Amino acid sequence: METRPLGKTGHDSTVMTFGAIALNWLEQEGANQMVEHVLEYGVNHFDVAPTYGDAELKLGPKLRQHREEIFLGCKTGKRDYEGAWKRLEQSLDRLGVEKIDLYQVHGLEYDEELDEITGDGGALEAFREAKAEGLIDHIGLTSHSRPNLILDAIDRIDDLESVMFPLNPVVAGKDDDTHDYEAVLRRANEENIGTLGIKAFAAGSWPDTDDVPERDRPFCNWYRPVCSPDEIRDRFDFAASQGLTSVVSAGDPKLVTMILEAAADYDGLDEAAQRSLIEAARHDDSPVPEQLHH
Amino acid sequence: MDVPRTVTVALADRPVEGSRCLEAGAGVGSTTAGLLDAGANRVYAITNDRGHAQSTRERVGPERGQSAAANGKRSGADDRLAVLEADLRAIPLPDESVDLITAHGLCNVLDPPALSRIVDELHRVAAPGSHLIVDDYDPLPDDAAVRDLFAVENAASELATGRSALTFYPSSFLRDLFVGEGWAFDRERTLLDPVPWTASHLSAHADAAASFAVNCPDDVGELLAANADRLAAEIDTESAGRMYSLAFRVPTGQSRRRQGRP
Repeated sequence: METRPLGKTGHDSTVMTFGAIALNWLEQEGANQMVEHVLEYGVNHFDVAPTYGDAELKLGPKLRQHREEIFLGCKTGKRDYEGAWKRLEQSLDRLGVEKIDLYQVHGLEYDEELDEITGDGGALEAFREAKAEGLIDHIGLTSHSRPNLILDAIDRIDDLESVMFPLNPVVAGKDDDTHDYEAVLRRANEENIGTLGIKAFAAGSWPDTDDVPERDRPFCNWYRPVCSPDEIRDRFDFAASQGLTSVVSAGDPKLVTMILEAAADYDGLDEAAQRSLIEAARHDDSPVPEQLHH
Repeated sequence: MDVPRTVTVALADRPVEGSRCLEAGAGVGSTTAGLLDAGANRVYAITNDRGHAQSTRERVGPERGQSAAANGKRSGADDRLAVLEADLRAIPLPDESVDLITAHGLCNVLDPPALSRIVDELHRVAAPGSHLIVDDYDPLPDDAAVRDLFAVENAASELATGRSALTFYPSSFLRDLFVGEGWAFDRERTLLDPVPWTASHLSAHADAAASFAVNCPDDVGELLAANADRLAAEIDTESAGRMYSLAFRVPTGQSRRRQGRP
């Protein structure tokens, strides 16, 4: 599988990152098989979070077995120093590893949060101490909120080495500032910051829970995903061709193999075909950034 | 409004800023919005369809308010937009009065006689040195399912009006046609490959077929309308064919009168 430099980290990430939230929906045996399956395709970048149910715990055994093959991303939604330290220690403990390769500020949504994270007693102080102690190697940030806020974060966090944000043909077809994640991509590439694409497979929001209760949704994703092999391939090819370092797989285990296949076969997508996908989705609703919490 | 990439890519290498522009066949205003966003000094959006004129005014006109685009340019139409309800075979503008003409998805709804007269008229209003962009669709491949739907629409149109609703001209054909009229060919690029025919496109074409069918003789119309509906539902969506963009210029110093045409 193709690899690309993850910004200045010195790591070459595979063009697909495994979103380990998928493990949350599996029993331990299935989770083990899933990790082996993903590794067989050559995927070397995994991403997990303490908020993904017990995905950290289920990732643990195979992660420890294959620690050298996996570049591990994890994250915290805590904004303050103490909270971030506690959450980092908890993740290290639950994953059962000595070090997290990329530790990320998770789900940045509001200006005030960025103030807190970057201020005295903020989460970044904890991140930097942890980096000095060798508990983490690199600092990143994730958000599916306003692109302008991510740009602010890039301005204000000098040691930021990766950003994770939504990118798909639906948001690419919208002109307004609230969907301009392409500006984030451009800026990150200019600054040599690694870029991880989420929501590549988002087709739209789920119907209201009154119409389709969460338990009746056919996929364990907080958005409605595309789900045929051709659509998955188109979406993967689109995201990978935009210049992202890596495309994060969707959360539902049923989609993972199709995404692996698409990633393994990826060999570029010309501009006319990229525009075709944008045009086909031009009137679709985007599940980002309106629906922020998941 | 969101300007389609097909429009921004077609306009990208043309000098839109400060130009007097003519959008031939306004549709729902996408290209008009693109021209205004790109800094056109004046845009004449011409259409003979009252609904399209209204859509363009509503979606692009002053009603949508002033807003600054990401590039800092004005996207509000204020006094830069004139939506004209007129026949492109008799454009209500003086000779040599525009600097840039766009025909985005226009030619495929013109049969050859109408196309020929409009090409003539576009050349009349184009100033020396002016630019022309023609964006359209190559004929669909033989195995494209949407061909069947378009064939039904054309059959209904032929029976009702005596002419085809849709004609997909190869890029080489339009290139030769405009060059023959005195335009200098500048470049061709592919805008979409493949072209996504979405469910809403197909249902719009089925509706068009049904509106022609009303005026078809006997019960043939009903059969055609039912067929169009069935095909649109069966096909649902399909990606097929290619959309291209051709760009031309009127050579500086060459005007229609100097060519000695009537």
